[in-house]
Amino acid sequence: MRRMFLVLENDLRRRLKAPLAIVIFIAIPLAMTGLIGVIFGPRAEESRLPPIPVLLVDHDKSIASKLILSSFDVDQMKKMFQVTVTDEAEGHRRMEAGKASAMVVIPERFTLDLLETKPVTFQVVKNPAEQFLPDVVEEFMRTMGVILSAVIQAFEDEVRGLRFMIETPLESFSWETLGPELGKAQKKMIAASKYLDPLLIRLKEEETKATGAKTRISRADLFSMILPGMAVMFLLFIVQTVMRDIISDREDGKLRRMMTTPLRPMELIAARLLSGWVTGMAVLLIMAAAGTLIFHVTWGPFGYFLWLSAAASFWTAAFFALFHALVRNRNQAGAFSAPIILAFSIFGGSMMNPEAMPQAFRAVGILTPNRWFIDGAAFIRDGGFPLIPILILAGSGIVLAALAVPALSRRIMV
Amino acid sequence: MLEIKNLTKSYGEVLALDRFSLELNPGEVLGLLGPNGAGKTTLISILAGTLRDFTGTVTFQGRNLFADRGLKNRLGIVPQEMAFYDELTAMDNLLFWGGLYDVPRTDIKRRAGELLELVELAGRGREPVKNFSGGMKRRLNTAIGLLHRPDLLLLDEPTVGIDVQAKVSILEIIRGVGAAGTAVIFTTHQLSEVETTCSRIAIMDRGRILAGGTLDDLVRIVGERDIVEIVGDFAAAPFSEALQDLAGSGVELLSAADGLASLAVSATEQIPRVMDRLFRARLAVTDMKIKSPSLETVFLKLTGRSLRD
Repeated sequence: MRRMFLVLENDLRRRLKAPLAIVIFIAIPLAMTGLIGVIFGPRAEESRLPPIPVLLVDHDKSIASKLILSSFDVDQMKKMFQVTVTDEAEGHRRMEAGKASAMVVIPERFTLDLLETKPVTFQVVKNPAEQFLPDVVEEFMRTMGVILSAVIQAFEDEVRGLRFMIETPLESFSWETLGPELGKAQKKMIAASKYLDPLLIRLKEEETKATGAKTRISRADLFSMILPGMAVMFLLFIVQTVMRDIISDREDGKLRRMMTTPLRPMELIAARLLSGWVTGMAVLLIMAAAGTLIFHVTWGPFGYFLWLSAAASFWTAAFFALFHALVRNRNQAGAFSAPIILAFSIFGGSMMNPEAMPQAFRAVGILTPNRWFIDGAAFIRDGGFPLIPILILAGSGIVLAALAVPALSRRIMV
Repeated sequence: MLEIKNLTKSYGEVLALDRFSLELNPGEVLGLLGPNGAGKTTLISILAGTLRDFTGTVTFQGRNLFADRGLKNRLGIVPQEMAFYDELTAMDNLLFWGGLYDVPRTDIKRRAGELLELVELAGRGREPVKNFSGGMKRRLNTAIGLLHRPDLLLLDEPTVGIDVQAKVSILEIIRGVGAAGTAVIFTTHQLSEVETTCSRIAIMDRGRILAGGTLDDLVRIVGERDIVEIVGDFAAAPFSEALQDLAGSGVELLSAADGLASLAVSATEQIPRVMDRLFRARLAVTDMKIKSPSLETVFLKLTGRSLRD
């Protein structure tokens, strides 16, 4: 026992003396998680588009043009557009200087022509240096035109009365004539109100209420989903590196030298398994802590996570003990280990959501530690104890270790 | 103290040790001399307990070496490879490897300090071994084998690939260990090393000891004769044939290869007769040297080939 702990202590001391490989393997999954989260995560409030700068030239200066101007002034539109009223020459100067995305020109007699139901034309000057924003302004003005046309056509008679009111001097205006016109307008408004209140077509916003899903996925939630997959993938890489001592010590003659001492083969094998296990757990805990500090990842109850980490690390140590008992040399170990880890990670869901994978892939995924660790981590996040993932990882780990011990014993003695 | 009887080990069809027997007493430094493939490393590996599937017996301090695990504490091994951890310091390595034996931790620390002094690494003990030169690494490799004060020290070619200064230092350590009462088996194919270091020499080839004893004992095998080394443009077979009828008259052919042959002659007067036979056989001789008998001559006589073959 004393010698087993001495070998374990020596292995851990060596890791601490040359920690670069482990540091890199811890940093990579954190960096990848950060990148994926930033690229695919939901945007923060402050990252929304700024208001689109629009210049408005009003040659009409009458009711309809004021109506258009005031439509830009409602709260929702203020968030989208920043409107500056200017004259045409100044407007063109500013457009050429790239100070606005678009310039809307309302022609003279715009209101009067509308009231006479004659076709009228807005002019929208777009900034060619910008790709999408001028098109947004153009679309908005097109929609505005459609709405105005519909209103004018629906209230054609009333609009004529309105035109008469505008054109007639106040002293010769007969208020008696206004009564019937307003009466007709009232009837149309009442008829229209049947469709407007309540609206026949309404927009209802609703978010998913699926089991386990949160009402809105924040970026921290996304990190919480990505990091466990990355962590288990790089756990495999790190433990594989640690367990490679089995074969490199053999090739360098250190194993032979150890076997000339009173150290027993079983003590050595146990020390190496423990070394992989302890290193794996330490790495997972460091990644979890870093994930919490950097990305505000939530892991759920720490004790549960510790159990899951212990089971996953044990599985990984046992698997690579068996793997290194079967390969011939360190070159072969290097050549085979990376494809195996990548296959585990692809099928096990470290690289993509298992739900998005074909059924056959998902079936293979249940043979990987990645899948059980990711499922277990999700279960813990929801507050549950991941008994089944832990039992599967620990149970299959014991089977792997039981296969590895006799295979390694044979490899230790020539 | 050590008794090896009829040790036999083969790798498939190749016989690495052939009924090998040997006895060794405390304080004896035995140089095992042999060319590559002679079976030296196989012998060391079996004694160290890292090679199995052999026949024969090995008794150490009256007990079966392979049945009593406790005896491993009495055995020190210096392998051919630099078997230690490069990323650790010399002191850390000594503490780790020493810790695998049943030695109290405080004793290990004291002993590690002493050994670093002995191998002239005291000033570099806290430095990672990866910064060491080849010679320094070899000295550390030797020190690790001595940490637990073994009664039997096995060294497998401990001076391979190092400079003269480091070689001298290691040979000095081996002599010192022997003088302190530790039995030493030391394999090499460097004649000069065994001549200067060992109290006993065994010449080994094809898994067997061909001859053993002190340097003087071995030289006597060749006898009080001069050794003639002949260089020329000739093949081995016609050379041997030309000197065949001189065999009973004080001329002995020790070895003959294409272009190089060695003879032992009872008197220098025999040399003109040898040259005469070679001229008559139309064998071209370009150079000839007369030497005193040495271990190399013994080796040539016993194995029929040079150590480098």
